[in-house]
Amino acid sequence: MSESLAVADHIEPAGADWLFRIGGAIVALVLFLAAFGPTLAPYNPTLTTPEVSSPPPALADLPRLILTAIVSKNTAPVHWFGTDASGLDIFSRVISAPRIDLTIALVANGLSLLLGISIGLLCGYFRNLGTEIIMRVSDVLQSFPVFISAMILVALGGRSIGNIVIALAALYTPIYIRLTRAEVMGQKVRGYVEAARAIGNGEAMIAIKHVLPNSLTPALIQSSVTVGFAILLTAGLSFVGAGVQPPTPEWGLMISTGANQIVLGEWWPSVFPGIAISITVFGFAVLGNALERRYAAG
Amino acid sequence: MLLRTILRRLAVGVVQLLGLTVAVFFLIRLMPADPVSRFVGINPSKAAYAQAAKAIGVDRPISTQLLHYLGLAPSQGKGLLQGNLGTSWVSNAPVLKDIATALPVTLELITMAFIIALIIAVPIGMLAALRPGGKTDKAVFVYGLFAGSQPEFWWALLFVFVFYFKLGIAPPPLGLINPMNSPPPPRTGFYTIDSLLAGDLTTFFDLLHHLMLPVATLVFILSGPIIKMVRQNMEQALTADFVLYARAAGMPGSTVARYALRAAMAPSMTLIGILYGFMLGGAVLVESVFSLPGIGQYAVRSILAFDYPAIQGVVLVITAISLVVYLLLDLLHAIIDPRLAQE
Amino acid sequence: MSPKLPEETSSMSRKFLTVLASTTLAGLALAAPASAADVLFLAEDVPAGLNYDGPAAAIPTSQTGMVNVMEPLVYYATKEVNSEGVSIPDFGKFEGRLAESWTFDKATLTWTFKLRAGVKGCGGATLTADDVLYTFARAKSVSGAAPIGWFLSNVGSIANFTPAVFGDKEENKKAKVLGDEVTKVDDLTVKIRQAEPNALFLPVLTIFGLMIFDKETMEKHATKEDPWSHNFVNNEGMGSFGAYCIERWTKDNEFALTANPDYYRGKPAIDRVVMKKVPQSSNRVVVLQSGQAQLAQSLTPKEYDSLRKAPGVKVGGHSGNQNLFVHMNFKSKPFDNIKVRQAIAYAIPYDAIIANGYFGQASAWAGVVPSTYPGYSAAAEPYKTDIAKAKALLAEAGFPDGKGLEAFADSFALSYVAEKETTVGPIVNAIQSSLREAGFPVTLNPMPQTQYGDRQLVKKDLPFAINEQEKPIGVDAGYATQLFFVSGDKGGLNNMINYSNPMVDDTWAKARVEPDNAKRDAMLASIQKQLMSDVAWLPVVEYKTQFAWSDKISGIGWHPDNSIRFFDLKGK
Repeated sequence: MSESLAVADHIEPAGADWLFRIGGAIVALVLFLAAFGPTLAPYNPTLTTPEVSSPPPALADLPRLILTAIVSKNTAPVHWFGTDASGLDIFSRVISAPRIDLTIALVANGLSLLLGISIGLLCGYFRNLGTEIIMRVSDVLQSFPVFISAMILVALGGRSIGNIVIALAALYTPIYIRLTRAEVMGQKVRGYVEAARAIGNGEAMIAIKHVLPNSLTPALIQSSVTVGFAILLTAGLSFVGAGVQPPTPEWGLMISTGANQIVLGEWWPSVFPGIAISITVFGFAVLGNALERRYAAG
Repeated sequence: MLLRTILRRLAVGVVQLLGLTVAVFFLIRLMPADPVSRFVGINPSKAAYAQAAKAIGVDRPISTQLLHYLGLAPSQGKGLLQGNLGTSWVSNAPVLKDIATALPVTLELITMAFIIALIIAVPIGMLAALRPGGKTDKAVFVYGLFAGSQPEFWWALLFVFVFYFKLGIAPPPLGLINPMNSPPPPRTGFYTIDSLLAGDLTTFFDLLHHLMLPVATLVFILSGPIIKMVRQNMEQALTADFVLYARAAGMPGSTVARYALRAAMAPSMTLIGILYGFMLGGAVLVESVFSLPGIGQYAVRSILAFDYPAIQGVVLVITAISLVVYLLLDLLHAIIDPRLAQE
Repeated sequence: MSPKLPEETSSMSRKFLTVLASTTLAGLALAAPASAADVLFLAEDVPAGLNYDGPAAAIPTSQTGMVNVMEPLVYYATKEVNSEGVSIPDFGKFEGRLAESWTFDKATLTWTFKLRAGVKGCGGATLTADDVLYTFARAKSVSGAAPIGWFLSNVGSIANFTPAVFGDKEENKKAKVLGDEVTKVDDLTVKIRQAEPNALFLPVLTIFGLMIFDKETMEKHATKEDPWSHNFVNNEGMGSFGAYCIERWTKDNEFALTANPDYYRGKPAIDRVVMKKVPQSSNRVVVLQSGQAQLAQSLTPKEYDSLRKAPGVKVGGHSGNQNLFVHMNFKSKPFDNIKVRQAIAYAIPYDAIIANGYFGQASAWAGVVPSTYPGYSAAAEPYKTDIAKAKALLAEAGFPDGKGLEAFADSFALSYVAEKETTVGPIVNAIQSSLREAGFPVTLNPMPQTQYGDRQLVKKDLPFAINEQEKPIGVDAGYATQLFFVSGDKGGLNNMINYSNPMVDDTWAKARVEPDNAKRDAMLASIQKQLMSDVAWLPVVEYKTQFAWSDKISGIGWHPDNSIRFFDLKGK
């Protein structure tokens, strides 16, 4: 533990602070959009508009358009990011997507955290043939090709948000099992466990009341990173055709449908959602890293 | 001692793979489509349906199918035990042969990407670690976080747009070699090695040209976590007691750095191994953008076509490789850091 | 090897010359005639198999492989070259291919085919009556995974090609053996007998699934377990008399063909064609535009549209038999209600689909049979978009403003083939938006081709779907009727919507064996009228089958299987 303390000392200085703020701001914005994005969207993100494949307004026109948008309420809203080949408004879709992407990421993560911590505690605290088998199974799950298993799971249940959540949760659970188990094994031999036992606490009681709270840190830190990756994976699944159903506003799906138009010179359907993913996942990574440094040490 | 560990791990691995095979066998049979329908497109009569079901063997009881697949029913033909993974329903070719064609493409791609990513990332990570908190360190740190959190398929598309479509430097995203050229005579299955063995430099350079963008995409994505890990481990190693001691003892800086690097390598190896295992299947996104006929594309195609034998084969092979990589890693660990072997 | 005259341009001598030229006289190689050009053809896949009785028979790219390395007995004559430079077959006029001529005896229902003399295949074998007998014997053996040869023979009413061939009983085994329905008169004459008069006989002979095998080559690759050489044509090669020979075939990757120098219609103009798998249509566009490839297919309408303006590239096509219709299952509520079906018909945004989905390369469809097929009758006015009328009909159906339809959420999941997303995406989005406006709670439900096929063909339980892939391979309105609209228990093999109307069943039973074409057409017209008023299928548009090619080649031909014949191509 002494090394990580030392590392934390090294990187914590002021420089990391502005980065932490950027990460925080990005995540806050994404959370805000998850809450209000669909309400703020000028168009319904799943219904077509008559303008098909129209490019975003030129930069030079932006000030004028913004002014008109503020002054007059009667004109049709501008397609700030253009429209895609179906005539869906890309801006509305990009700002509506966090609700979908974040829901998937958070729910999948929460589910796997819950499962992973419980199983990890079990397998770390009680070591017998049964828990050994669970660990070996979890090993296999972890070495199982991520995309392929997610695709099979989605193929089994169909393309829906619920099934993607289940697929992601199945993938992340083994990671949490491993982290929690390792930590539990370390905590188990600490003095306070012996003390609790000496007072006459039952093993299950000790495991849940004493060992568990002390073993959560690695899993919780991991989860802040995992949320970002869940967004990437959801997008990747959409890209290979195993993601959410169109026309759900989801960034990966938007990139995937826009990918084909790039060579025709229509960059906007895929570039804007790509930038959104790029920034969002970066935000989560920065935040996760900061948390890691702050709490891994303490 | 070491040998016994290896044997034990291998034995556990075999049991794991067997369990996986049986689980996947039943799992894919729960999929919501009947594979037989693929064959009866033009004549979907009951008789033709029965004929097709018989041809691919799904008319037999499921237990017979499982025993056949595992190779425990000699009357039905060869199975897993005899080294037969069945025949793909899409390509009609033995799954093993299909995989032997597709796997080298992916291995070639990701191995090349890993080597280049390591060559670039390790020195950068070390450089950053030498002056923690310095400007270089901060820049490297931000880059590592950024590159490690990017959607690779999106960057691949951007690269194609810029380097092929706009600048014309890269070849079209059309696979490994110029489609009008013949591939090198297959010996190992790895195009780079085969073209060199055949002394065919034109094909070799054509290959490198075609691999340029997909490898660059992967290097970009992979460099993030590798830099981050090397930097972190190096910093830890540089502040470890033995390094402090070496410094105090007045050893030259280069020697100290070498010690530290060695100590930093072990944990970095783990990450690299896990990343490698992940990329085996995870390269599918890049393969798909660049039309590389790799194992990921093969898997996607097999799943979309409900091609049971192919899905089973792919899952089995990739998982087996991952397990072997993990085993090798642990061995390497033991060699780099003998203390670990004692555990 | 037979001695060759120097004037003959055999592939051997040409190859030798090319090698010689490129090594010693580099200048000569450059001066090679343009007709010797190679063509790189980009497709979504390469053949997964060349066996029409095999598992890959239903896949379009596999069919493209078959039609280029095999040869039919008869085929359609060319009608014209359309304004886009695409040649069109004449469905009313047959010409001899491997058969030089034929006669039909009405009394005995027997066709006598005189085969062309001296036709040579890639394996060096010469066509004889035995090859034709082998082909039909193989079809009747129903030994492959998908017995298409038997099916087509059955559709054409060739005697004794009955369902009795299926099964393992003694009588089934006997039924699998070719009897006196196909006989050899002499080395170049074959007789084929029909069981009843049936206008589909010649049309089925043009289809890839009855093209003629070269017995000699096929039998060379037969094994004890596989006497009909299924494995050989599934995976390795072909024995036939086609225009091209297989040079290299790597599944999932490429399919390289060289011209058959002995082809009986003359050596093909293009020496070598490499069919290359490029899964993304946008990548096919890019490479074609760069000039590295000369031919591409299966692009999206939008991509074809953009290529129309590209330099060095030509785009053309023909509205032959591809169409898009809405599939509403009569067994799924509320689609059993004709008012609901009509309401949907008025809520489809036809013009938007033609403009944004097909970029103008489609037209309204007023029937349920391809309008180019013999026997087609425009039975009604095509539907027009009229949301007000749709809402009124929906109210009449008992669902004012869509109230009450929420109970049928599963029925309103509009299914389509996920692999076609780039083409169908804009169309289904337009349909969804428009139907939602009219009050239908529509959601989109893309699914893999295999699953779609399973639910459409086998389970027949898709409630609501977009279908743009049905092109009846028998070029005839009657064939289409039987396949899609006759009740399932009366032979409607692909009656995906569980439609059943005694009027249609009975009229077709009579039309099927009606020898007088005028009477048959009248019956077919009355059937089509009934289908339209029942909204059996909801026809949306007929669209062009398009191709894009480099201006260095010409001569693209449209064929009912939508597969390019490389023999049609010419260099410039």
